[in-house]
Amino acid sequence: MQRGPVTHLAGALATLFLSAFLVVPIVVIFARSLAPTADAPFGEGFIAALTDQYYLGRLAFTLGQALLSTLLTVALGLPTALLLARYRFRGKRALTAAFSVPFVMPTVVAGIGFLALVGPRGVLGVDLRNTLAIVLLAHVFYNFAVVARVVGGFLEGVAPRLEEAASTLGATPWRTLRRVTLPLALPATLASALLVFLFCFTSFGVILILAPAARFATLEVEIYRLTARLLALDAAAALALVQLILMVVVGFIYTRLQERLAVSVVPGDATRAPRGSAHLLLGGTLLVTSALVLAPLLALSVQSFGSPGSPWPTARNYLGLLTQSHTVGFTDLWHALRNSLGFAFSSAALALVVGFLFAYAIARGGWRWLDQASLLPLATSPITLAFGYLLAYPALVGSVWGVPLAHALLAFPFVTRTLLPAYRAQPPALAAAASTLGAGQLRVLLRVELPLLRPAFLTAAAFAFAVSMGEFGATLLLVRPEFATLPVAIFDRLGRPGASNYGEALALGVVLMALTAAVMLVLQRRGRSEF
Amino acid sequence: MNLRLTGLTKRYGAVTAVDRVTLELVAGTTLALLGPSGCGKSTLLRLVAGLEAPDAGGVAIGDHDLTRTPTARRGFGMVFQDFALFPHLDVGANAAFGLVEARVPAATRAARVRELLALVGLAGLERRKVTELSGGQQQRVALARALAPEPRLLLLDEPLSNLDASLRESLKLELRSILTGLPAGAIYVTHDQGEAFTVADTVALMRAGRIVQVGTSEELLAKPAGPWAARFLGHDNVYDTAPQGAHLPATDGALLLRADLTRLGEPGTGATDVSVATAAREGLAWRLKLTAEAWGVTVTWRGFDRELPGHPAPGASFGLQVPPEAWRSIGSDA
Repeated sequence: MQRGPVTHLAGALATLFLSAFLVVPIVVIFARSLAPTADAPFGEGFIAALTDQYYLGRLAFTLGQALLSTLLTVALGLPTALLLARYRFRGKRALTAAFSVPFVMPTVVAGIGFLALVGPRGVLGVDLRNTLAIVLLAHVFYNFAVVARVVGGFLEGVAPRLEEAASTLGATPWRTLRRVTLPLALPATLASALLVFLFCFTSFGVILILAPAARFATLEVEIYRLTARLLALDAAAALALVQLILMVVVGFIYTRLQERLAVSVVPGDATRAPRGSAHLLLGGTLLVTSALVLAPLLALSVQSFGSPGSPWPTARNYLGLLTQSHTVGFTDLWHALRNSLGFAFSSAALALVVGFLFAYAIARGGWRWLDQASLLPLATSPITLAFGYLLAYPALVGSVWGVPLAHALLAFPFVTRTLLPAYRAQPPALAAAASTLGAGQLRVLLRVELPLLRPAFLTAAAFAFAVSMGEFGATLLLVRPEFATLPVAIFDRLGRPGASNYGEALALGVVLMALTAAVMLVLQRRGRSEF
Repeated sequence: MNLRLTGLTKRYGAVTAVDRVTLELVAGTTLALLGPSGCGKSTLLRLVAGLEAPDAGGVAIGDHDLTRTPTARRGFGMVFQDFALFPHLDVGANAAFGLVEARVPAATRAARVRELLALVGLAGLERRKVTELSGGQQQRVALARALAPEPRLLLLDEPLSNLDASLRESLKLELRSILTGLPAGAIYVTHDQGEAFTVADTVALMRAGRIVQVGTSEELLAKPAGPWAARFLGHDNVYDTAPQGAHLPATDGALLLRADLTRLGEPGTGATDVSVATAAREGLAWRLKLTAEAWGVTVTWRGFDRELPGHPAPGASFGLQVPPEAWRSIGSDA
């Protein structure tokens, strides 16, 4: 490959963006948490926060709930993965797609869905708000697809053929499960479990909405409260540093596992139709899992059309959103929608540019290290990032640029990950042919490479758009009240008492859910027809 | 004891993949299932292994019916087309997999694995990862693994098709000598007639789910069961109707001219005169397309320079000498 000036320009711009909007904020957090103050020498504040009983308790709770959530998610996801890998049945494609719905849903939608199901006004009549149970349920709901799809997808390619081989060597089904299937699934299970652990470890929206009591605060929630409510920035910086270090460690183990995972996969499909009692097992498991996955979203949809004291569905909650808000400080539907879409479009555009710069510099060679670096935003939690912006660029926070920049930073890794394989799949002979016809590197890019990347760009755009639409933590910390997005508007309403506020929050939740679903549908449709 | 398949049938929806197959495999011999892709030979093998359940018919060893016996208890070893080695186990543990299931003590196991790896030419590679092996080595591990528990029947599903041509040539001779030394019988599925003839004692020719013909390589080549079989086995000169003017006894079906039994001489010396339409070199040999104008047919002929009366330039004329046994009536396809 040529490594002309264009490659270096792309690499340099990508590095610049990452440095300014990720590295600098993190370095500032480091400095702030370790810096000497009037009454404490270097590092003292950090040590003090680390040895504080309360903060230690928060750390212990954060780790504990993440561990429990991960174990539960694996316990439910692994059997489903094994069944999905083994059998083919009608509607399998639709079902696996349905499993992924919670994962792409914004946390706020997941949160309010569980409120509608098992909250104080929930359809089931059980109030689990402010319990560990609801937190764990929501985490399993959110991450179930990660285990089921990562492990299921990995096994589907290899397991059935190897299971057949085991049976010709005298292994009964149970022995095959123990000696072949489970050992094969182990690395993928560990990898997906680490991912789930990372997500639960930095859980924010779910906790804030479902278990706002202080005893359920995760580090992420604590950092938010210290920053936004108590203005205790030194303590927040210390906690953010602790969280960052733990995330980097888990993230590092995860990437190592990923490398090992990549070796042994030989694609191929050897699923078979279920026979006899397998029908029962398959049906039972899938029924339980789809109930868990779909119930909160169903409850949300149903309840958004309800109203207290009336058994009939009404559109009152939606109508309430359309009229000018009577509570001061609430963002009505139109403004929330306008803000959300505006931020989503601008941050998706920025994420596409940045994500492409990364992909181009990596694929063209010479900037190989950007490959790992482009994953860094995924190992930084939104609250930490926004907190870093507050410390490093206070001016950004007051402007309209803070939110799109943060969203673009959180979304561009998905863009790079989508563009990179598509770019690498292009035959190198095409660029070579174009250059023998007189096209320079930039002309090759414009006339050959970019047109071929069009489908990948569409998918990436939908991804970035969805990330921005659903983003909650960073937005909450960075946004000015008049620019509140849909998730923030929902959260605002949940924070106030009264049935009409709750009803409007439900209706907004349905709007956000529908928008996200629409984006995902476009993504899938495009994905199928153009690849 | 002999393996007996009776009326084995497998349908997938409207397609009958295996259609009433009845076969007997003599213990200790190797049978090749030969046929084009999609003829049902792999499905038949999977029925024998118990990886598929038949819609009708049965599988038995001697008088012992195995039709309902699960794969794990049939005691048949199998070598898969893509080898299906366990990526989480090393070479030694792969080879020992079936021995563990058979509860063979660890010491005996290790000795048996050593012995088998030596047999397949991989001595000392026990601790190697299977993902680090070449295709040919993986194939050898797959064979060692299938042989280790001393199966009463060995099933091989296109075991060489994932390897490159030169490796295939050397491995098929090696496979032949390993299979000949086995007390157990073997079924060898392939679409390559050369492989079938080299490796197997008996060849069963399959087409569209049915067995067309069973016999030794000589029997199949000398008396193909019909025009399809003749062409599939590599005969060039198959005529659906007798060439006019060839003075042949009348028959109903197709005729086969075995060009390997004919000679070329000066014009006027043979049964008919032929002229060279095209002449192509295949290494040292020639492959000629000859037009027999009096008969109204084309004859493909292969041979070396010393068998030619002159240079086979296009248009050159020769006499085609045809002994009576070169013509064979082969009936018609069912």
